[in-house]
Amino acid sequence: MIVMLWHNIDYVASVVLFSIGLYVVIAKENLIKKFLGLNIMETAVFAFIIALGMVEDGRPPIMTGDAQGPFASPLPQTLVLTGIVVAVSTTALALTLIIRIFRRFGTIEANELREME
Amino acid sequence: MYAWPHWLALVVMTPLAGAALTPIAALLDRRSPPWWALATMTFTSLAATMLVLRVFAEGPFSYLPGGWAAPYGVELRFDEFSAVVGVICLIGWMAILFSSRYTRSLPEFASDRSPYYYALLLLNLGGMIGFAVTGDLFNLFVFLEILSLSGYALVAVGGERIAEMAAFKYLLMGAVSSVLVLFAIGFLYGMTGTLNIADVTARLGALEGPTAPAAVALALLAVGFVTKAAIFPLHVWLPDAHAAAPSPVSAVLSGLVVKLGVIGMIRTYRIYYGAGLFDLTVLNHVLMWLGAISIVMGAFFAIFQEDVKLMLAYSTISNIGYIIMGLGLATTYGVIGASVHIFNHALIKATLFLAVGAIIYRTGYRTLSDLRGVGRAMPLTSVALSIGAISIVGIPPTAGFLCKWYITLGAFEANQPLFGFVLVFGALLIFVYYIRMVNAFYFREPIHAEVTEAREVPVSMLLPTLVLASLCLIMGVLGRIPLTFIEPGVVRLLAPLGG
Amino acid sequence: MRRPIAIALVLLSAIPLVVAVAGLPAHGDPSAPVHTHVSAHYIERGAEEAGATNLVTGVLLNYRGLDAAGEVTVIFTALIAVLAILLGTGTTPESTASSRGASDRRGADRESTVAPVSPIVSFVVRLLAPFIALYAAYVILHGHVTPGGGFQGGAILAGLFIALAMVLGTRAMQPVARTALAPWLQGAAVLSFVVVGTVGAFLTGFFLGFPAEPPLHLVRELLIIALEVGIAIGGAAVLATIFLHMEAS
Repeated sequence: MIVMLWHNIDYVASVVLFSIGLYVVIAKENLIKKFLGLNIMETAVFAFIIALGMVEDGRPPIMTGDAQGPFASPLPQTLVLTGIVVAVSTTALALTLIIRIFRRFGTIEANELREME
Repeated sequence: MYAWPHWLALVVMTPLAGAALTPIAALLDRRSPPWWALATMTFTSLAATMLVLRVFAEGPFSYLPGGWAAPYGVELRFDEFSAVVGVICLIGWMAILFSSRYTRSLPEFASDRSPYYYALLLLNLGGMIGFAVTGDLFNLFVFLEILSLSGYALVAVGGERIAEMAAFKYLLMGAVSSVLVLFAIGFLYGMTGTLNIADVTARLGALEGPTAPAAVALALLAVGFVTKAAIFPLHVWLPDAHAAAPSPVSAVLSGLVVKLGVIGMIRTYRIYYGAGLFDLTVLNHVLMWLGAISIVMGAFFAIFQEDVKLMLAYSTISNIGYIIMGLGLATTYGVIGASVHIFNHALIKATLFLAVGAIIYRTGYRTLSDLRGVGRAMPLTSVALSIGAISIVGIPPTAGFLCKWYITLGAFEANQPLFGFVLVFGALLIFVYYIRMVNAFYFREPIHAEVTEAREVPVSMLLPTLVLASLCLIMGVLGRIPLTFIEPGVVRLLAPLGG
Repeated sequence: MRRPIAIALVLLSAIPLVVAVAGLPAHGDPSAPVHTHVSAHYIERGAEEAGATNLVTGVLLNYRGLDAAGEVTVIFTALIAVLAILLGTGTTPESTASSRGASDRRGADRESTVAPVSPIVSFVVRLLAPFIALYAAYVILHGHVTPGGGFQGGAILAGLFIALAMVLGTRAMQPVARTALAPWLQGAAVLSFVVVGTVGAFLTGFFLGFPAEPPLHLVRELLIIALEVGIAIGGAAVLATIFLHMEAS
């Protein structure tokens, strides 16, 4: 198990990043910080999926005439490209909501907002 | 007619294309967006009808966009559970028609928002349809995001005082659950090297090496989808969001969007039952208990709500509890009951939210004490509301009865009579809070002049409410049809692959 | 109170995750299922089957075209959502002033309220603008040969618009956000998928199909470029419009 952990240290790194993000989402009161935590979680998952597609001595999967393998897998890169667009969209919507909340209540601290509700 | 293969691509792409064209239609004629959205959904409904007919006649079938064979391209797969697109189209159509008048009464609904509201509704419906028919894990995630993003925005669109807060809470929990689902997809991909659901199932079944990643992926998927379905204790986003949204949106969110979390759960079960990698008893027990707690807690909180929409929102938690409990029972009867309750509860809850929306539109009040006596002022709407209330309690011969009966049978079949009693107890609690509502509406003297002077709502709002209410009755009488329709799907779901 | 709960939850989720990643095939192992199953097929056959030397583009637009269609729909959803929430909001007097006059007075308002920009920054942005635009066009049109593509190029283009808006005032972005052309540009990505998908259905019999047979493989090239350009225009218009509306509120 320890040996496998060492081999998969890249994945462990993304788990650590994921945990940091989750902590920020739960523990912070500021809505923007909460949201940044979510962005960290998303980045962790993207890093994990990208790392899945890596191969020892791999090259980018671009098939020009003289390209020699081994090639990194193109599929995870495609997935993450899509994932990033999704993350950007979520961010845009979240920031919009935060702008409106601030306009209405004059604060973006979750504890103060709970009192006003 | 129904054998034409392209209906499956059309049913997914039509609402999305219609949404992209809605702002352009608004440019040509400012009042066109509702009618444009309605036309889009009419065509989508046609496609959905063809698909349901085909699955009825032939069983599950696939469509390969781009012509790529299954694991290499994205596969669209239409099975018995995908027939939920029929309900999505029906309720979406009704909600759009209802909105055409209703949105004028919203506090902050400037007319330049109108095209974007209808575009969001279409995107939400399109996302749900795509989610229900895709046979590919990552494609599932993409459609999940379309329907979630548009759902968060629809909550905030009406401009109620707490709407943006509710939407943000919904967004935060929804986005975290989406990340969990994506993480799980990453794990499954890392283990099997494929994203096609059928292929993942087969390769997971033949897996050599540690099964820990598969178990963790299952946990991530379960937590993610259960959050989307708003099961206790991950339900905290739902009451505010569904109560703050405009009523037709509440009908879509409460009737349909939370159900897609359940459909996600069913897809997850398909993979793990099919792979037969490990025993799912633990997960089933967790789901049973969470479902039971949700039934009781949801009904209990609903009793103490003064706000009618908040009450309906809590009753959604209770009803999703029935569905999740039925899934957790993992017996044929239980899962059949749960699957049919997905359809029936969608109809019932849409009826209730539209009827309440009509009452709020006319009177401007939304608490039980303010709305006393409204039943005499708005007879047709109140009849629809009462039919919905009777159905949701599960009194025969309405739509709610047969599926709850099946879930109860499932509980006894699984040798878990306790959960059968929980179900009956939950139904009694639900009965109490709807009795409160009916009592206030019919047998108390009105205290507001607006309530006594309220007239029936215009046809564009009355028609959807009455049609859905009569469907609640019809589905009660014809209740056997969906039960027999879904049965082969359930049998296939519970069986190991190749067995 | 909140912190211990958070730490407990994080540990509760992190420990199984660490155990799970330890059970995955070793990182970078060429015999892992990730490399031997679907990806192997892409690497072996993808270049000729999908018609793009850059396999990432080939997989994105051709093999998994429906994902890409969903992806552009997601970002279009974000735009629609932002507009639906921000348009015509008038809760406080100052926000009424800044958004009610959005369509006509806004341009003038901004000019007066925008923070003064250093002349050097302004000069450099205007100097670089044509080159950035050229680079964006290169990234978009070469996406199927080299790293890049519609999304990346569109993001560069949107960055250019935003930089210009900061220097010249938001009036510089009127064409993408405020004219009759705007909804067409914003929906360009989704619509290009619908159009190309339908054309593909007529040519190959499958929605989003690309003809691969010799007489028509040039059409395939054209269709892929049409998709890339559509994605880029749509993506850039969406991002720029979102920026404009957030900035205005």
